[in-house]
Amino acid sequence: MKIALLLSLIWVPSVALGQMQRTATAQAFGVSVSTATVNQTTPSAVAPAEGGMAQNDAGEVNIASLVTVQNAYVVASGWSDDGYSDAVSTASLGSVNILNGLITANGVVAIATTTADGSDAYGSSLANLVVNGVAVSAPGPNTRVDLPGVGYVVLNEQISTGSGITVNMIHVVLQSTGLLGTQTLGNIIVGSASSSVN
Amino acid sequence: MTNLRLLAALPATVAVVLLASSCDTRHAVAPEIGKPSFHFDILECRPFKMTGGGRIDYPPGTADKNPPASHEYETFGAHVISEPNGQTDELGHCLGAKGSLEWVDHRPEWNINGRPLNLHSLEIRWADFATDTDCADGGARWGGVLVIKNTGQQSQFEVFDCDNGEPGAGHDGFGIRLWDFPYEVLCFDSSLPPAEPSCTLTGGNRQLHPTH
Repeated sequence: MKIALLLSLIWVPSVALGQMQRTATAQAFGVSVSTATVNQTTPSAVAPAEGGMAQNDAGEVNIASLVTVQNAYVVASGWSDDGYSDAVSTASLGSVNILNGLITANGVVAIATTTADGSDAYGSSLANLVVNGVAVSAPGPNTRVDLPGVGYVVLNEQISTGSGITVNMIHVVLQSTGLLGTQTLGNIIVGSASSSVN
Repeated sequence: MTNLRLLAALPATVAVVLLASSCDTRHAVAPEIGKPSFHFDILECRPFKMTGGGRIDYPPGTADKNPPASHEYETFGAHVISEPNGQTDELGHCLGAKGSLEWVDHRPEWNINGRPLNLHSLEIRWADFATDTDCADGGARWGGVLVIKNTGQQSQFEVFDCDNGEPGAGHDGFGIRLWDFPYEVLCFDSSLPPAEPSCTLTGGNRQLHPTH
């Protein structure tokens, strides 16, 4: 009887400790276009589920003449480890041209970081950004700019996911307005990084 | 009977105590932001893992970001898993390591063949755990062989890797030196000779895993 009770002293905590295992996820991509006719994301990297790092790059990306990007590099690193889990993803791009010059930039960095202590987007930046002919310097998180006849763009988009963060440096929402109201036709995202630790 | 009741209540109590201690997050430290001061001179062979990545704004390599339009920054991902096999190389480095490194230097002067300098590891050969650093959570020096993807040239390299608390931006450090190609991103601190320091991260994180 006493032996059984003593064993339970050891067994119960071990089950509880098993429940503390955290899962780290990280992914990044350079450009993503999703419309009724186009659905493409490149280059992209997803950290291995068992822990590790993935990377990818592209010298030039042109998706359906909607967006062109040069020198895109993405890295995703995620490690699950009790108390030390961490996830970091980065997307960096050179020159960017969206919708035939409606939005341009020549340096985009998205960084998402998550540890046991929280998430942040430190290090993310936009260089020489011009939106609809107007220069935009260091936009704050989730800065929205309307694009008449096109929709709107969210700059430095930071979405908290509870266990992590997604950072989209340029997120264009394509819309149409008609008799049925405003409808979303698609999305263009340039420079995206996500990280989480559950 | 009373004793039995007390004994039966113990597992839950012990579980709560152990659970609390196992989930105890490590306390963030508050080093002097913008003043990296890491030594990497006294090293030992020890199992560990260092993971993460991020951004450095070098030069100067401090905690402040350069203006984005300057393109004076580097982005990277890197991890090393140290599993010492009891052997050292001719320089005394601990053999038995694996991992990977991906490094991009966005500075215009490092644009080679139309693309930013891009370093990609081929093999991680050694990893030393630094015991004399003031990296709060731990520091390491490790290296191997990489390829300069712009040209195909290979080079030996070493990195200086520092987990200095949370968040990584403004605290942690990373630096790299190539041996067969004239390139390095290191932030020396003359106030701490002999210093072979890392540059402070402006984004991302370095995470030491004491065991793996």
